[in-house]
Amino acid sequence: MFERFTGGARAAVVTAQEVARALRSEQIDTRHLLVALLEDGGHLVDGVRVDPAPLREAVAGTGVAPDHVVARARAAIAAGDVLDGEALASLGIDLDTVRARADEVFGAGALDAAARRRRRGTRGHVPFTGDAKKALELALREALRLQDKSIGPRHLLLGLLRADCPGGRVLADAAHEAGVDLPALRTAVEAADAA
Amino acid sequence: MSDGQTLLTSAAGDDPQQGLRAVRALRELADRLETLQVQRARSLGWSWEQIAAALGVSRQAAHKKHGKA
Repeated sequence: MFERFTGGARAAVVTAQEVARALRSEQIDTRHLLVALLEDGGHLVDGVRVDPAPLREAVAGTGVAPDHVVARARAAIAAGDVLDGEALASLGIDLDTVRARADEVFGAGALDAAARRRRRGTRGHVPFTGDAKKALELALREALRLQDKSIGPRHLLLGLLRADCPGGRVLADAAHEAGVDLPALRTAVEAADAA
Repeated sequence: MSDGQTLLTSAAGDDPQQGLRAVRALRELADRLETLQVQRARSLGWSWEQIAAALGVSRQAAHKKHGKA
């Protein structure tokens, strides 16, 4: 499937991996891909840089602020990596007690440092989640539906919107908040001329 | 712990969303504690064999998971 990706789409996938690595995520999900597609900057891959401008303009044209989407996605990724004290309490575990005990034995802040240390180990290959793979497949289907010969960044964004995935939900939530319905957002993205 | 009581019903209860969230949080906590304990054991001179035996995994598995830390 990757051989049908345009340079920009490949660069977006590689950038998603870089985003995951920088945030020490254990997997690449569609939120990382969303950041890669919409954030200013991006990485150079085989001489091609992700140019987010066409997609940013398309999304902004509907009334959804791209930077807000990126910020939401980054915040969601960060929140997902935090120890969930409320959920632990549901098992009768008091996170504050565990934290205090860990501080005592391993030093202050040890529990949070442990997560960072562990993630530093994932410096090589960061795998895609099942959702993200599904979104990439749906991107292919979007390209076929639009009778495009190759899969570009806009197809990736459309695939992400079609899939039931974290990145799609971030984008849908941002659209909902801005009072934009998904069909309007999809139409705008379809019309974007991202290479 | 009246909060814990209500939450306890949800975790051991019938809502998969809450139950799975609890499992995930527990796994994350266990992973972090494992990292800290293994590191401490190593600094106290434990061998990978000893650590692996204590964790109930193979020496290779223990080293692969924690060797880089």
